[in-house]
Formats: sequence, structure tokens, C-alpha cells
Amino acid sequence: MAKIPKVFFICGNGLGSSLACQMEADDVFQAAGIEVNSGHDSISAAPSLDADVIVSASNFESQFANTQIDPKTKIVYLDNIVDKNEIKEKVVPIIKEIAES
Amino acid sequence: MAVVQWIINNVLTQAAILISLIAMLGLMLQGKKPGAVIGGTLKTLLGFEVLSAGSSIIQQSLAYFAVIFQHGFNTKGIVPSIEAINGQAMNKLGLGNDIALTLLGIFIVNIIIARFTKWKYVFLTGQALLWMATMTVIGGHFAGLKGFPLILMGSIVGGIFAIAMPALAQPIVRKITGNDAIALGHFCTIGYLVEAGVAWLVRDRKVDQHVANIKERKDSWEHVNLPKSMSFLQDNSLSIMVVMIPLYIITAAFAGPYWSIKAAGGAAGSVNYIIYAFLQAIEFTVGVYVMLSGVRLMLGEIVPAFRGIAMKIVPNSIPALDCPVLFPYSPNAVIIGFITTTIGTVIGMFLSPLAGLAVILPGMTTNFFAGGTAGIFGNAVGGKRGAIIGGIAHGLFITLLPALLVGALSSVGFVNATATDVDTIVAALLYLWVLAPAFHAVG
Repeated sequence: MAKIPKVFFICGNGLGSSLACQMEADDVFQAAGIEVNSGHDSISAAPSLDADVIVSASNFESQFANTQIDPKTKIVYLDNIVDKNEIKEKVVPIIKEIAES
Repeated sequence: MAVVQWIINNVLTQAAILISLIAMLGLMLQGKKPGAVIGGTLKTLLGFEVLSAGSSIIQQSLAYFAVIFQHGFNTKGIVPSIEAINGQAMNKLGLGNDIALTLLGIFIVNIIIARFTKWKYVFLTGQALLWMATMTVIGGHFAGLKGFPLILMGSIVGGIFAIAMPALAQPIVRKITGNDAIALGHFCTIGYLVEAGVAWLVRDRKVDQHVANIKERKDSWEHVNLPKSMSFLQDNSLSIMVVMIPLYIITAAFAGPYWSIKAAGGAAGSVNYIIYAFLQAIEFTVGVYVMLSGVRLMLGEIVPAFRGIAMKIVPNSIPALDCPVLFPYSPNAVIIGFITTTIGTVIGMFLSPLAGLAVILPGMTTNFFAGGTAGIFGNAVGGKRGAIIGGIAHGLFITLLPALLVGALSSVGFVNATATDVDTIVAALLYLWVLAPAFHAVG
């Protein structure tokens, strides 16, 4: 029984751009035939999420540096959070690795 | 008939149930499994109720603040917050249903226009659509509309804005992102264009004559190293607190213990009045946090459903997305935009009473998100100097517009709040200044 990875998409308010990113990523995962549990939230909530993977925009990198995220959580930063190719390149391999672990 | 009447009275007039049914419809149209349909519908219902709970927390905090501000400075100070306006409209004025149906109507009008014209923008920022639906319903309510005409008018006005704003911003968005893959779907766009216009007028005319992409700009904030310590402002709750705490404490100090305790209405007990003000500032932030969690739950099901439907109906659609999507392209300009817009709103706070308007306090959420995006526009069009002067102009502009709404809002029963997002305010002013007089002339 492979594990279903829990992926959270993070932005400042947890409303608009994180949901936009999640919708694009869900399409990518579906096309690749990967099953994930995805959600979106604000950066304030990030430490309490217990996610396998956190996906956020590159401008949040310095903010995450000051946040206590569980070390087992992998954080991925995207330059263009709605670019399917970038999601395919950066996020999908990590998801596959977790699913097979 | 009695059964139908009972359903209308008890079910369809409950905004929470209505919005859940809209979500259910969207999930069914997407062909989701029964479990996903039930789950999504219940989440939407929960979201609506969480939103209501958050809005009452905000209102309690603002009611206290209104009293201490009144006695501290002998003038009315108004905290602009679209969240507070939405909460009051849904809960106190009983407009929740009309807002839910108008939200659905704006979706539909947006898809129709995108399908049959050359503007292929599909507006996917759910909360912005909710704020737009709120303001068009309030505008219609003010103009004396009720029921179907109110919803239809709101849907048409909102739907036109949902297409027009991304279309107007696109020439500059193309410079920022380098292509037409995405558009900007955020109802502060008129403010961005104001900043871009001012920035263009004051730009350095010796460099950057023809720039297709902001990366090519020589005169740009992106070549300057800004202190990393500013990045904490991207956390919305933190940025609200760093402003609200001093604001509440200073106001309570001016109001003095007598009025502060009176404003608390016995709730303070034996707590020192300054400490109580500090806690109330946190309480305001709690309200915003809870309310946004509600919005997240409520729209998390509806927006993907709308997107799925829109993509089927409108080939080659361009998704119009929330403003932070642009932030990674120009992160320094975001910080400059936030600072300059805040300076502009502080200047505006002192200027508005001189113009005979209410004192509008700086609204931090808008200053960060709208200010940051406006900063990107200013920097993209007018470089370093453009971003600074344009940003201050933007701050003044987003203080002036809410001030114009205050009178109309308080006449229909809003307490100490005014709206923020300027496009929604323009839509409401359209009702107040153009549509309402027209209705009266005709009817």
C-alpha cells in the first residue's frame, strides 16, 4: 500500500494565489496519475500543517527561514506558481519519492 | 404550494444553505464522486458559518475602537475593511442570499462575455468576486432594488468588472510575466492603473525607452538590495498586528481610562485599560484570521468547480488570478509598493478631515496586497522614481475612495467600517451616483 502524500500550497493570505497554484498542480498530478491529498493555507498556519510537502512562491523563502517547519516536510519554491512545467519539474519527483517510501 | 413556500422561507433564504447548494451544483456538474460532493458541500456550509463567526469578532473589536477613537480624538475614525463590510452585510442587513446569488450570477456573466467576445478572461479570485458581489448588492440595496432585479443588476455590473479589469491591466501584466498565459484578477486594478499613470509621468526619460519585459529595465528596484527583515510583512496576520496594536494602544491612551472602560462595556473587568486595548487589537486580527479561514473553506470548492466549467465553455481562456501570483517576478517592488502606499494612506488620513471627509485609518491588508502589486506596476512603467511617487499617489487614492463611501454606508446601517478594494468601491459609487438617480428619474 503506497502512501498518499499530503501537499499544502502556501501564500500570504491562503486565499487566492495558493488556490490557483493548487488547481494547476492538481491537474498535473491527475495527468501523471499520482494520488495526493492537497490543500491550501496561509503562511501563519504553515508550522501546524503536518504536511509531507509544502509548495510556495520563491518570494516566501526568507519568510520560511524564520518559521519552524517540521524537518521531515519538504519545501518547494516556485518562480511562477501557475506554470505547469515548473510544477512538473520541481514538485512531481518529490511527490513520487514520498509515495514510494 | 405550502411545501414550496416552506422551502423558500426556511431553506433558500438561509445564505449558508444557498451557497452550499451552489457548491453542490458545481461539484455535480464536474461529475465528482458522491463522497466528494457531500464533503465539498458540507465544507462550504462550515466555511460560511466560520466566516460569520469571524465577522462578529471583528465587529465587536471595531465597536470598541469606534468609541475610544471618538473620545480620544473628538472625531470619527474609520477602519477600512472589506471583510467587515461583507460580514455586516451578510449578518446584520440580511443580504447574505442576494450576495450568494450575485456571486453565482457574476460567474455566469463572466463566462458569457468571455465566450462571445475577444476578451477571454476567466476571473478566478474567489474572495475578490465575493467582495464585488457584496458591494454591488449594497449599492443596489442603497438604490432601493430588491430580489431578482437587485441580483441581475449586480451580476451584470460585477461580470463586466470581472472582464474589464484583467483586460485593462494586461498590457502591463504582459511586461511583468513576459507572456499572456495569465492575467491579473484582483479588484484593486483601478488603483494599479493610477499608480502606473503617475509613475509613467514622472519616469526617468533618459533610459528604458522601449522595454518589453521588466527584466530588461535598467532603472528598477530589482537591482537594489533591500533588507531581508521586511519580508515578514508577507504574513498577513503579522502585518495587521504590527499596525493595529500601536493604533489601539495610542488611541486608548488618548481616550483615557474612563472612556476606555466605558467602551469595553464591563467586559474589561479589572484589566488595565491599555492592556485591554492591546488585547482588542489582537481580537481584531483574530476576527480577520477566522473570517479568512471561513472564506477559504467556502470558496475552496466553488472556485475549482467554476474553473472546470469555464474551461469547457471558453476555449483559449486566460485565467485571471490573485495579485500575489505576480510577486515572485518583482519582489523588491512589492516591498517598495507597500511602504510608499502606507506613507500615502497616512498622509491621506491627515488630509481627509481637511477636505470635510471622515478619518480613514490605514488598512493594512490592502496596503500590503494592493500596495505591493501597485508597486510592481509603478516600477515596471516608471522605474525607481515612478514606484515611489506613484506609490504615494496610490496610497492617497485608496484613502480618498473609501472616504467617499462612508456617508452612504452609514445611511444603510453600517457601523464604523468602509470598504477597501477600489474597483468594488467604484462599482458601488456607480450605483450611488449614476444608477440610483436614474432609477428615481424613471420610477
